[in-house]
Amino acid sequence: MPVYVYSIVATSHPQHLTSLHGVGDPPSTLRTVRSEELTAVVSDAPEQLRPKRRDLGAHQAVQETLMADGTVLPLQFGFTTTDDEAVREVLEERAEEFTERLEALEGCVEYHLKAAQAEEALLRQILSESDEARTLNDQLKSGTGGPELPLALGELIAREVQDRQEALAGQLVDALRGFAREERLSQATGDDFLSVSFLVEQDNEKSFLGAQQDLAKELGEDFDLRLLGPLPAYSFV
Amino acid sequence: MTVVPQGGGSVATGGGGGSGNLYEILDLILDRGLVIDVFVRVSLVGIEILKIDARIVVASVDTYLRFAEACNRLDLEEGRKAPSQLTDLVGEVTEGGSHGKAKGALSGAAEAVSDALKGGDDEEEDEEKHKEPAGRRERPARRPARRRKE
Repeated sequence: MPVYVYSIVATSHPQHLTSLHGVGDPPSTLRTVRSEELTAVVSDAPEQLRPKRRDLGAHQAVQETLMADGTVLPLQFGFTTTDDEAVREVLEERAEEFTERLEALEGCVEYHLKAAQAEEALLRQILSESDEARTLNDQLKSGTGGPELPLALGELIAREVQDRQEALAGQLVDALRGFAREERLSQATGDDFLSVSFLVEQDNEKSFLGAQQDLAKELGEDFDLRLLGPLPAYSFV
Repeated sequence: MTVVPQGGGSVATGGGGGSGNLYEILDLILDRGLVIDVFVRVSLVGIEILKIDARIVVASVDTYLRFAEACNRLDLEEGRKAPSQLTDLVGEVTEGGSHGKAKGALSGAAEAVSDALKGGDDEEEDEEKHKEPAGRRERPARRPARRRKE
């Protein structure tokens, strides 16, 4: 029977799994596969797995429960293998690598920050600070410019938006970097201009959160900062 | 997992597992995490929807025209007094309670991802739908389709 693999932890980790269930419908039962030093949390793999709330939630819940009691290496969603024996082989063959990662991540959690800025506020700022943009906009409003005016204004604004948001993203990361051990940027999506993960030592968690709160206050209401965490260290395994 | 209250007044909460904040960390669950190459990754139909949601390519005629239009609509004086758009949205989120989705603040593409999370046929997901205000489900995710053409 194929198995779905959730996480790898040290065998000494308490692995409280009783309140949880695995992926699939009906939900699969979680169990462990052990080598001497390492333990993998697995379940039978469902025939069909979809990146839907139910299965993603089950995957995430396992990581969160495990991280409450110690360090965890969360697998990416959706990995399966043939049977328990194949899992055990991997645990044994890569014991050194996994143990090293677990040690490196000990006492650390991930925080993920996404940031968006109200477009209207940004446009307003650009128009008030850039004479060129304001002139073009005034011409456009009064109908005195040529047909190329909207594109010229739009291109200028687009460049300003990108430059300003890139600079802002850099400033936000700089402001928090000092409280984190590592950071990892990802592609910002939707209206966000920043999407970044920080690896934060639990001893530094308070300062990190404090700094993030100060930053949110400083930026004010035109910004939407969403901080998620503490999370298992998905981005740093 | 929790969403930490922010200075702007947005307080969103969410437990782990099937919480409403799951979609905020989708890219972590799907694209990060330990990869064991001798294992097999199951085919995930629908996963490509995340990739569509790449940041808007700023350098396009459509974007330029949209920005020009947005600037044109701005009234500088009036705007200074008016509450910002985002503040309104933050208010909505707070009212929205435990779901904590800054839905309006995100693009249509993000909505599509969240729809993908919700749009299933199993019981748990149906329950979710019943809890949602009727209006929300009727909002079609048009924007990603448009964006693909850009």
